Amino acid sequence: MQIFPRSLNRIPALVAIALALGGAGVTFVVWYYFSPLHTQVGYQPRQPVPYSHRLHAGQLGMDCRYCHTGVDRSSVAMVPPVQTCMNCHALIRTNSARLAPVRESWCSQFAPDQRTDANCPGVPAARRGELASNQPVEWVRVHRLPDHAYFDHSVHVTAGVGCVECHGRIDQMDVVRQSQPLSMSWCLDCHRNPGPRLRPQDQVTNMEWQRSGPVAQARPVDPPQHCSGCHR
Amino acid sequence: MSKRQPYPQVEAIPGMPVYWASLEERAATPEQEAKIAAERAQEFPEGASELIDPVSRRSFMSLMSAGIALGALEACRRPVEHIVPYNQLPENVIPGVPAHYATVAEIRGEAIGLLVESHEGRPTKIEGNPEHPSSQGAVDLQGQASVLDLYDPDRARTPTEGAHARTWAEFDAAFSARMAMYAPTGGQGLHVLTSVTRSPTFLRMRDAVLARFPNARFHTHDTAIGGSSITAARVAFGTPLRPVYEFDRARVVVSLDCDFLQTEAGAVRNARAFADSRRVRSGRDSMSRLYQIESTHTTTGANADHRLRLPVRDIEAYGRALALRLATAHQLDMGDVTAALQGVTPPAGVPAHWIQAVAADLVANRGQSLVVVGARQPAELHALAHMLNEALGNAGRTVRYSLPIDPGATDPVEDLRGLAQAMETGQVQTLVILGVNPAYDSPGDLGFAAKLARVPVSFHLSLVHDETSQHCTWHAPTTHFLEAWGDAISSTGVLAIQQPLVAPLFGSRSEIELLAQMADLPVRTGHELVRQGRRGPLGADEHAFEREWRRALHSGIANSPMPGMVVAGVRRTDVAAAIRTRALPTTPISRTNLEVVFQPDPKRFDGRHANNAWLAELPDPMTRIVWDNVAQVSPTTARELGLHGGELVELNKDGRSIRVAAWITPGQADGSITLNLGWGRTHAGRIGDAHGFDVNPLRSSQSPFALEGVALRMAGETHRVVQTQEHHRMENRPLALEATLDEYREQPRFAQHQSPTPRTLPLWREVQYEGHKWGMVVDLNACTGCNACVIACQSENNIPVVGKDQVSRGREMHWIRVDRYFVGDENDPQVASQPVACVQCEEAPCENVCPVNATAHTPEGLNDMAYNRCIGTRYCSNNCPYKVRRFNYLNWHNDGPYQPGDPDVPETVQMQHNPNVTVRFRGVMEKCTYCVQRIQTAKISAKRDNRPLRPDEITVACQQSCPSQAITFGDLNDDRSRVHALARNERGYKLLAEIGTQPRTSYLAKIRNPNPEMHG
Repeated sequence: MQIFPRSLNRIPALVAIALALGGAGVTFVVWYYFSPLHTQVGYQPRQPVPYSHRLHAGQLGMDCRYCHTGVDRSSVAMVPPVQTCMNCHALIRTNSARLAPVRESWCSQFAPDQRTDANCPGVPAARRGELASNQPVEWVRVHRLPDHAYFDHSVHVTAGVGCVECHGRIDQMDVVRQSQPLSMSWCLDCHRNPGPRLRPQDQVTNMEWQRSGPVAQARPVDPPQHCSGCHR
Repeated sequence: MSKRQPYPQVEAIPGMPVYWASLEERAATPEQEAKIAAERAQEFPEGASELIDPVSRRSFMSLMSAGIALGALEACRRPVEHIVPYNQLPENVIPGVPAHYATVAEIRGEAIGLLVESHEGRPTKIEGNPEHPSSQGAVDLQGQASVLDLYDPDRARTPTEGAHARTWAEFDAAFSARMAMYAPTGGQGLHVLTSVTRSPTFLRMRDAVLARFPNARFHTHDTAIGGSSITAARVAFGTPLRPVYEFDRARVVVSLDCDFLQTEAGAVRNARAFADSRRVRSGRDSMSRLYQIESTHTTTGANADHRLRLPVRDIEAYGRALALRLATAHQLDMGDVTAALQGVTPPAGVPAHWIQAVAADLVANRGQSLVVVGARQPAELHALAHMLNEALGNAGRTVRYSLPIDPGATDPVEDLRGLAQAMETGQVQTLVILGVNPAYDSPGDLGFAAKLARVPVSFHLSLVHDETSQHCTWHAPTTHFLEAWGDAISSTGVLAIQQPLVAPLFGSRSEIELLAQMADLPVRTGHELVRQGRRGPLGADEHAFEREWRRALHSGIANSPMPGMVVAGVRRTDVAAAIRTRALPTTPISRTNLEVVFQPDPKRFDGRHANNAWLAELPDPMTRIVWDNVAQVSPTTARELGLHGGELVELNKDGRSIRVAAWITPGQADGSITLNLGWGRTHAGRIGDAHGFDVNPLRSSQSPFALEGVALRMAGETHRVVQTQEHHRMENRPLALEATLDEYREQPRFAQHQSPTPRTLPLWREVQYEGHKWGMVVDLNACTGCNACVIACQSENNIPVVGKDQVSRGREMHWIRVDRYFVGDENDPQVASQPVACVQCEEAPCENVCPVNATAHTPEGLNDMAYNRCIGTRYCSNNCPYKVRRFNYLNWHNDGPYQPGDPDVPETVQMQHNPNVTVRFRGVMEKCTYCVQRIQTAKISAKRDNRPLRPDEITVACQQSCPSQAITFGDLNDDRSRVHALARNERGYKLLAEIGTQPRTSYLAKIRNPNPEMHG
């Protein structure tokens, strides 16, 4: 007496295959799509001041190092102090509403009785008294490495790694977005074979530079591939 | 296949010295053997691996599941971080690049020049200023640790009147009104109590106050150093000259109770010079010899070639007997003093050779010998030593004298007694106390706290609202030395400007600023006050002054006509008279006539560093005890009294009594009990309170450092004393190797013979290290065992503090430890110190067992530790033969000793952290990596400039801090580096070389220089 038809015998095998395929699928999805390439790239947060790199670095052609002065001397490239903005914007677009946080931050460093027209260009007199002292512009970090990764800008820039290699075409971005995964394997790809990413020292900040033929290296490059090269 | 044998337990080889870490390990009773055997069978020290949190399995599961759920949600969202730039970038600041500023600190009666590292305005690390003579690049324990005092979360933040917080304006109003009251009387009834200072600006401000209030009285306070040397110099020279020793020129040193390598003033400079006189590089080199006479094993005693343990009281008698022997047997011309010494006999129990051979050695090295006396010894002995140094021709050679900063200086203990009397009789109407804490650290017989409470109005300026503040009408917060302008002159006469690195964190005021306010000067900022003092000597040329001022700030040294060094003649008649008037006691010190001795704590000094967590957790250099002070008793006396380690005893003298835990210390003088100052505080803060025992109530202002006839009674309780020497024990293997100078000359490679490299082939193909090959050499002959390297490592590498309870479970986190071994007799052993950090094995056993490859080798031979890869199996620590790996059993940066009451480690403490080193979390293994962040920074800077690394360009933290330059780090492949030459020295050996780990750190064996005549 047979209650179940024979055909049911295939079910365990089908279930096993489905589980295996499903498991493999989930593994692949997680492995591929949960990687920094998909979770990090494209991150484009709103900034307190809608500063446009496309305008400044692209159309006006300002060099990256006008603002990011630490890039060839320090581990951090440095987001410029408000002072750098005010070098120009004390005179240019002093009435732009978008620049109000910058002007107020500049004004706030002065003691309340020092907040004169000369020190606070473009800040209404009524507003001057309301500012707390040393009120900063809090930019949102876009390119974020984990705390245990000790990246150093200066050693990369002086080796001839162009800004564009990691940050993408900043000169075409109105709002900065992350263009590379900045994952460890992505770092190691270049550390294992840095040659194709290197350019002459004087072209580091040039976003449009194209390799044509062999490149004279800025200096001998021997990137570390061991743990303490980046982790301490 | 043969069964693997465990590493054979090394039995004592006949004729080889036996090293022991503690009395328990030495005395081989069956129970202790069993205990040690049980510990050996375990992977980790007892208790270290058990979960001790009171968390049940159920609550653990619920917490974990909630945590996982939250964690999963958290992972979906990218944490938003902000970048907050400066409004206006300060000049010369490059974010990410630390700045270094030169400044100066007064530490234990000496001005030490410092270089302080600052990360965007946060001072993080204190190092010595190589150009400053009393530092020469190094700093001691307290100097290294004082950066943590800056961030002390318990610092006072506002002025207070009684228990009420007040504003500075209210304080100023009350202070100025009170001072104005004294204008008519010229300050009658106004008293000021200050520390003993080496700051010329401070003294100028004092004189300014005295100009406004001629009848006001200034008193100095210092009960840890005392004033014998000041009194003695007045007797011997007529003015309070200060001896400055040149140990590097001395061939024979006789130290009478002088811990010149650790607790005495100028220890950093002394350690360097002393080590220089013993830096043997080959058998042809000569080496100095140190005779130490002391009651307790000190760091200096540990470095002595011959050490005589005597009760503190009897050391003066020994000194006189030695002087008499010099006069009679060697015809040393001592003028009237010879007659005054007639009839002196050495104290009981001093072997004849300790008089005869020592005297002969001194005379044989005339002009190259040195007699030094400890600060706590009576003035008459100091005067006698001045006379002996002159008669031996040492003055001007091995000892010089510096002119006093304050020619009117007096004995601060007598000064304090005078103040206490004036307070008793009601003469003190207003008392201003600057910086010091007399209610805690003054001798108990003065009853200072009670008298202070009766002073009508008192103002106290100090870092924390401490014991003294409790009894004062007003308290105001003062500045840390990293926050204020000031200056200080070293004993060698070099003036340095104290330059602040950060604006006062809590709006406090410095002592000179308060004095300027008191004197009603028009200028009241510290900056201008210090500049004014420099303006005078430099004349009216404003431009030249600015240039000179900037140069002085930059180099840390303000060259100027300052009190120089002199050689003065000793007034022998006066010395003889002083010796005649002081008769020596005759009752012998024994169990029936117990002596109690007070010594400044090597870590906390007199208690001023009490709230410093690093110092609290640092093992005492000799006893290896953490978080406590104890009453040290010799093994013989303990047996006679029936005492055991950790038992509470009550010490009683003239109605003053204290309770303190006893501890049996090898090398302690029989019948003499030593107590460390600086513990048992009640209002120091969350770290300083409720640890150790306050011994000040037992002290007497008549004899502040030693008492005899003290009654001892068992209190019938025990106190848990925690020491670290038995943790991570190394199983009697030959580790700290040593020989005498003669043995070394006969057999220069003795150390390698005792620690041979294995004859078997390595298991893996050996790596050929080209390029950099980092290595370290530790010269055990130079290492004094002062432990400065431990604190330097802690401040450089963000090493947490775990608390007494956790240390008792073997969970201390110090990456470098200074092992202290005793050799020989249990009552009178010799000592060997050995700093041990990760030795960076080329064939590292830890790497082979890591399941996740979290610890791996670099091409330069570093044994890397990738914290974020570590999953906490602890296999590596188990497999480490050197026991140098440390595991974060808890999240110490949150659950450390700042608990309970703190939700977190206070933000101010976190400000000290080095941003270039990961702060490790729970469940992660960590260890020394040769300060890899410094290596990387130097390599990056060299790459940036497109140049090769210079030889010895990199200095690791322990090496940098070492006062005696015992540690050398560098590239073993660079034949121009110092480490290259030292690693090939014939004294060199590798720790446990026979197991084939091929460590990169090697040691140079210790050499002792005993006098053959001393075996009489």
